Amino acid sequence: MGAKISIPVRRIDAKEKAGGWAKYIGDYEFDNLQHGRFLRSERARAKIIEIKKPVFPEGYYYVDASDIPSSGKNNIQMIKDDWRVFAVDEVRYIGETIAIILGPDKQKVLDLLNEIEIIYEDLIPAFTFDDALACKGGAVHGTDNIFAEYLLNVGNTDNAFKNADKIIEGKYETGFQEHLYMETQGLVGTWEDGKITMYASAQCPFYIRKSVAGTLGVPLGDIRVRQVTTGGAFGGKEHFPDVIATPLAVAVNKIKKPISMIYDRIEDISFTCKRHPSKITIKTGLDKDNNIIAMEIDTLVNGGAYESSTPIVLQRAILHGLGVYNIPNARILGRAVATNTFPSDAYRGFGAPQGLFAIEMHMSHIADELGLDTSDFKRKHFIKTNDITITNSKMHDDVKLEEMFAKIDEMSDYSSKVKKYANDPVKGIGIAFVNHGGGFTGNGEQVVIQGVVKMKRLDDGKAGLYVSVVEMGQGLQTTMRKIAAGELGLSIEDVVYDNPDTDIVPDSGPTCASRSIMVVGFLVQECAKKLKAKWEEGVGTEATHQYVHPEEFVWEQETLQGDAYPAYGWGINVVEVEYDPVTFEVKTEGVWAVWDVGVAIDETIMQGQSSGGIIQALGYASIEKCELKNGAFMQHTMADYTIPTSLDFPKVETVFIDNPYKYGPSGAKGAGELVFDAAPPAYAEAVQNAIGKRIYDIPVTPEMIMEALNK
Amino acid sequence: MVDSYRPKDLKEALSIRAEHGAMPLAGGTDLMVRYQSWTGTLPLFKNSIMFIGHLKEMKYIKKEAKDKTSTLVIGGTATLTSVANHPETPVVLKEAVLSIAAPALRNNATLTGNICNASPAGDSICALYALDAVIVIEKTGSRREVPITEFITGPGRTVLAESELVTAIKVPLKASSVNNFTKVGTRKANALSKLSFTGVADYKNGRVDSIALTFGAVGPTVVRSVELEKKLKGLSGSEIETKISAILEDYSTVIVPIDDQRSSAVYRKKVALNLLEKYLRELSRHE
Repeated sequence: MGAKISIPVRRIDAKEKAGGWAKYIGDYEFDNLQHGRFLRSERARAKIIEIKKPVFPEGYYYVDASDIPSSGKNNIQMIKDDWRVFAVDEVRYIGETIAIILGPDKQKVLDLLNEIEIIYEDLIPAFTFDDALACKGGAVHGTDNIFAEYLLNVGNTDNAFKNADKIIEGKYETGFQEHLYMETQGLVGTWEDGKITMYASAQCPFYIRKSVAGTLGVPLGDIRVRQVTTGGAFGGKEHFPDVIATPLAVAVNKIKKPISMIYDRIEDISFTCKRHPSKITIKTGLDKDNNIIAMEIDTLVNGGAYESSTPIVLQRAILHGLGVYNIPNARILGRAVATNTFPSDAYRGFGAPQGLFAIEMHMSHIADELGLDTSDFKRKHFIKTNDITITNSKMHDDVKLEEMFAKIDEMSDYSSKVKKYANDPVKGIGIAFVNHGGGFTGNGEQVVIQGVVKMKRLDDGKAGLYVSVVEMGQGLQTTMRKIAAGELGLSIEDVVYDNPDTDIVPDSGPTCASRSIMVVGFLVQECAKKLKAKWEEGVGTEATHQYVHPEEFVWEQETLQGDAYPAYGWGINVVEVEYDPVTFEVKTEGVWAVWDVGVAIDETIMQGQSSGGIIQALGYASIEKCELKNGAFMQHTMADYTIPTSLDFPKVETVFIDNPYKYGPSGAKGAGELVFDAAPPAYAEAVQNAIGKRIYDIPVTPEMIMEALNK
Repeated sequence: MVDSYRPKDLKEALSIRAEHGAMPLAGGTDLMVRYQSWTGTLPLFKNSIMFIGHLKEMKYIKKEAKDKTSTLVIGGTATLTSVANHPETPVVLKEAVLSIAAPALRNNATLTGNICNASPAGDSICALYALDAVIVIEKTGSRREVPITEFITGPGRTVLAESELVTAIKVPLKASSVNNFTKVGTRKANALSKLSFTGVADYKNGRVDSIALTFGAVGPTVVRSVELEKKLKGLSGSEIETKISAILEDYSTVIVPIDDQRSSAVYRKKVALNLLEKYLRELSRHE
């Protein structure tokens, strides 16, 4: 950790957030504000026969698909536009939007909502992977319930399996995960100067603009989206705000008054997207020297009732399917299925955690089967610079996993503990190795996003920074300023970076995919250089910079061939546990992490990312159970959907190694999702070693441990 | 129409109860959650409410000695924090109270509220069953005392009449040398119970003189079997040790939990019996 930019500064938003005067969406005041609440489907799959409504008093409205202007469409323009703004005639999942009830008095709105009666004719819903593949009740999507299907292939897998000395198989499953950002979903839509303006707690202001304009059938410029201070997102505010914004815009367009749609917590847990559940089968062929010569992976993810970003999540799951290993012959089939569950969507890691959990556990199980040490077996198969990848290109990164392993071994005493706990009845230690591609998959930055940033010299020697990526707790208000200020020779306080407003900032793309620092930060650095060169032209001087795809990274989207990502973050986690044979509860005794994120833009902020990502992932791996009962999430309160508290896990010991990336600002690579990826398999392996039984699924609950021990 | 009342003293509180049957609200930590509605609207109380958390007459914890027995009397508005901090609070009750939620909630919540909420997963209730707590119930002009086992009649149900108020909880302070309260929660803090266990016992002349074993969240109310406890009385430690599997078998017939969003019936039963076994082993070593 030697880079100057890594030296921590006090976060620019520390005072206002710790002091409690930061304004979130619920804190804004609007004249004549109306309050909206969704009328939602109570059935997972049904025909709507009739909606019986009371007489609405003056000033109260029932807004549904019939209020969409004729120029518009009852579709939400996300990556796909299959998700309907309002359900019409039939419903596909519990919680689907049917209408908005709104008016000035919240209690009256609730009363009206309670008086509405919907007559359904139930259809047979599909909830599980098996239901989906069997098209139970008829296909939810298309003719086969398959949202997307991809096949990746390297080498000659069939031949290699023929030569295999032994074949080992395993099936791995992961569940739903709720984001549980501290601030629930919320937007306020207003009618200002003949134009719809959305104030949003959101990650991607331009996504909202696109979806709202599409629904209303108006030019993009007719919609203004202003991000307001956002209390956490984790992917949950990437696409999902569109699901609120589009019906809200229809309502604002109808009544021309400001309307707020802010979720309560139970509403938020019950009726927002979750991480995609996965079911991954891996078959591995080994030669007589225990080298992996072939691997076949079958990946299923549950997309729920609408497609949204599911195909891209699936792509990331399979592109990370081989983990950090060099497998010369491999085939990965990926399928995303449709069911009548709440649509799944983005969540920190975006498919990679599911793929990486499966491969890491599988590698561990192979080692166990062969009587080998996990880390030795995994290290023997590490991918190295210039090795062939699953997409038939070369690994361009300078892979420093061995150096990182030496570091974490020293920090955690891993190797000696593995031996020490081998026969311990209650203690165990686990390790996991991961990488995570930064930025959009393939050439998405070049073809889809084409991000632009702008800077300007302001009065008093200040510089304005205009980007569409947002602060959502990850520290971007500070790190972006550091990058810009560093180039311009200013203090970070002299860089003005307001919450993005689509009428002011250029579209530098969404805040997701670990791209904000690596991709947009680099644009900012380049733009700052341009502005510096013409700084002397005076106040008002502007510079812009647009993304240029580095020529050495080639990608063909149709076939998913080439360089899936320009650079990867790399990481190793070690988790040490002790289980209680009386209650089957697990106590985590230690958590260690070593990361290669290129260069940390701020050491303290990155420590926060590491601790936060790991604890969130440990929750996913242990206590965050989210089950369906007839299509509804059973754990829908904060009392029942439990995320870790500071008493559940110890302090995370984190170290970063420097490995600068040529096209990242000061060498930085993507980091925000990487830090989630390694903890689940490291934890599951630690528990597995403690209890002496293999773990295939997460969350590893005490109930599951009891069952495993009974087998 | 839902009214709210704020009596100036206990006497007025009792007369409001008699006249309006208004639901008492002390800390509000259960009721405000149970009746929560859309943020910015009033809670959905079905009946009138009477705020009693401020009533000083019931905000006390005192030790009463009579003949040879002493009792801890916990006033109707004493907070969980004050119960946990009192030097005379039996250790199992203290641990049960400290396992509830987090400090901020315990500063507001009352022990009486926890009992009147009558949740099968109520952590303090499990301990109070084992301690033979007695509930003091008053109404204008009269007063009665009911053992906690009779006070709670089902999930969320008690014998408290509309005109009555719980004004205190009496906890007999008995000799108890082997004490255990264990809560198995959904996480390590701020958690609801998957199940809980309380064991209190005392030996006299090498024989079990008193014993109480209770299980929370494994049935519609806290499970306690006085008949099975009787079988343990008079046994020596080594006799207990030889009977452990028979005792567990007995208890496996009275512990009949269910599956819900927090845990499974199989797990609850298995862990309840494991905790009992652990306790019995400890007990057998003590005599």
